[in-house]
Amino acid sequence: MTALSMSAAHQGNVNPRPVPWRRMAGIIWRQHRFALAGVAVLLGALALYLWLAGSAMHHAYAVAAACHPASSDDCQNQVIDFNTAYAPTAQTVGVLLMAVPMLIGAFVGASVLGRELETGTFRYAWTQGFGRRRWTLAKLVPLAVIVTVAAGLFSLLFSWYYQPLFTDGDSIPLDPKLFGVRGVAYAAWTLAAFAVGASAGLLIRRVVPAIAVTLAFCVALTFAAGLYLRPHYETPVLGRDLASAPVSAWVLNGWWTRGGTMVSQAAMNQVEYPLFQRAMTATVPKNVNSDDIKFYKGSANTRVQDYLYRHGYAKWTSYQPGSRFWPFQWIEGGWLLALSVLLIAATVWLVGRRAV
Amino acid sequence: MTAQTLPAAPPDDISLRPVPWRRMTGIIWRQHRFALIGEVVVLGAAALALWLVGLSLHHEYAAALACRPVGSQACAETYLTFSGSFAFLANGGILLPLPVLIGAFVGGPLLAREMETGTFRYAWTQGFGRRRWALAKLVALAVAVTVPAVLFSLELAWYYQPYFTPGNASLGLTEMTPFFPALFDLHGVVFAAWTLAAFAIGGLAGMLIRRVVPAIAATMAVYVGLAFAAGAFLRAHYLAPLVTSSSINLPNSAWILSQWWTKGGTTVSPGALNTAINNAFTALNPTVNGPGQKYAAYTGMLQYLTEHGYTYWTRYQPGSRYWPFQWIESGWLLALSAACIAVTVWLVRRRAA
Repeated sequence: MTALSMSAAHQGNVNPRPVPWRRMAGIIWRQHRFALAGVAVLLGALALYLWLAGSAMHHAYAVAAACHPASSDDCQNQVIDFNTAYAPTAQTVGVLLMAVPMLIGAFVGASVLGRELETGTFRYAWTQGFGRRRWTLAKLVPLAVIVTVAAGLFSLLFSWYYQPLFTDGDSIPLDPKLFGVRGVAYAAWTLAAFAVGASAGLLIRRVVPAIAVTLAFCVALTFAAGLYLRPHYETPVLGRDLASAPVSAWVLNGWWTRGGTMVSQAAMNQVEYPLFQRAMTATVPKNVNSDDIKFYKGSANTRVQDYLYRHGYAKWTSYQPGSRFWPFQWIEGGWLLALSVLLIAATVWLVGRRAV
Repeated sequence: MTAQTLPAAPPDDISLRPVPWRRMTGIIWRQHRFALIGEVVVLGAAALALWLVGLSLHHEYAAALACRPVGSQACAETYLTFSGSFAFLANGGILLPLPVLIGAFVGGPLLAREMETGTFRYAWTQGFGRRRWALAKLVALAVAVTVPAVLFSLELAWYYQPYFTPGNASLGLTEMTPFFPALFDLHGVVFAAWTLAAFAIGGLAGMLIRRVVPAIAATMAVYVGLAFAAGAFLRAHYLAPLVTSSSINLPNSAWILSQWWTKGGTTVSPGALNTAINNAFTALNPTVNGPGQKYAAYTGMLQYLTEHGYTYWTRYQPGSRYWPFQWIESGWLLALSAACIAVTVWLVRRRAA
């Protein structure tokens, strides 16, 4: 009877039912628990530091901000004291944290396929009933989600930590040193580094060289994005004069024009210097001590600028306003997400094509 | 006749003659060629880029120095060109990870790979002896990573030379203290010492952890902690800092550790000082105002404040201590490296194969 019912069941169903996806959870955990534990320890230790340092900083800022009236000298001095005490450390912390996505990507991402290929276990793993493409996909996607979510939560904490220094105007929203550590960018950089690591592991087939290549590639990509791409996510705003740019603007460039053509800095210096000398002669009183002459430079410069404006020169500034912070975050997050999806898709496709 | 001569020799010499040390070179090369080639490629590429960039930097510096008459607009332009050139390299920050990358990637796998793959069972039971095997590899590779690092640091010293030349500041050119935190690690003998230390830490981590990737990660973590501790806490105290109240006359080569104002024996906070500066500015210069001009007048203000009972204190290390500090830091790093290597070899000997 058993034999009869069995053959009946198999008739419409020659292949065995595919192994369900959730069965991979245990394997992923067992293969990558040390890497994931490492990520948890690294981010946990840094989060603890941010929380302790952030609590102290928020407390100090609350004291400075509670001062009334805010425009009095005494209150402004409290804000200056606060910035002097906390801003340099906080900025250094922000810059150093940019290394974390690369490290996570290199150490977690590169070993996903690199280790199986190096040790030869892929011959066993890929020939199981689960299927090699599904195997790869099932490993890459959950790990990608885990590291991305962890990095996203961590950057929320960093944003909280740094908030007082944005509120009091010490840093601009688009500050190039901090852009990658805030908003959605941090999670996106982590995901991209993971995807780069995974494809490097598949292409190089050895863990340590794949880690090295991932680090090198991510460093280059971070520099390229900050120096060449980010200033151009949206067309910069043109302003007359530096003063026309809001305080929160990320100033990209400044130059002079006359009659619609650009004047080079060298030519501008040639024009400005004699004017400045004349202005100084006109501004500085005769009986002034030679050490105090420098106090008159500012007003002489103003006279030079007024003169230049009257004679057809125009000073231009290009900048990105601080209000573009979120659009820029989504643009950077967007292309990094697209790059990551593309790399993971290419990796899965290559795994399917490769002869075992 | 052959049979007669043979038995006479062995009695003094029952064990085999040890395999000579030089026989290890081929094995070391075969096991670590990729790491060594990688190191040479990375340092070579960096050296080439630095050389090209450095030629143009030195050219601009020479042009700035040769410019006459000093103080003219043309000269001001040459100064600006020099100061603005390759500013992203000027603080050295992006070159700082080089020692740890070299050390972790060469030193980490050294024993960890043999342990992880199990080849140590074969390697350590050869006639060469496991302790000699480990020692030969550690020492030869230590030399192999340190020598290129020394050569590279010579180039770094050449590259950064213009920034440290005394007298730059009087011309309006960049003049940094040789103690500048990121550069101190780069342009003397300590660059090689940090590379060696990273390698030795990597070797020890590999022996303790016995797996390559975790050993590399641990090496990086330990190195970052050590470099941070050295820069933030140790270096300032290699020799007792000097304290002076004539802060304005300090040469630019001095490494300023902290500065503070006192009035009548008590320290003045930065905020209270700002009020004093505002008052001083109004007193000095009743007609002009605005933050930009305040900044320009800062040195005049120092003089004014000094005349009104404020004292400006500086705790610093003089620039002449640069080489003593280099040797002190290299000294303890070398001792640390030797200790790490010794412990590693001892662990190899103790461990059951």
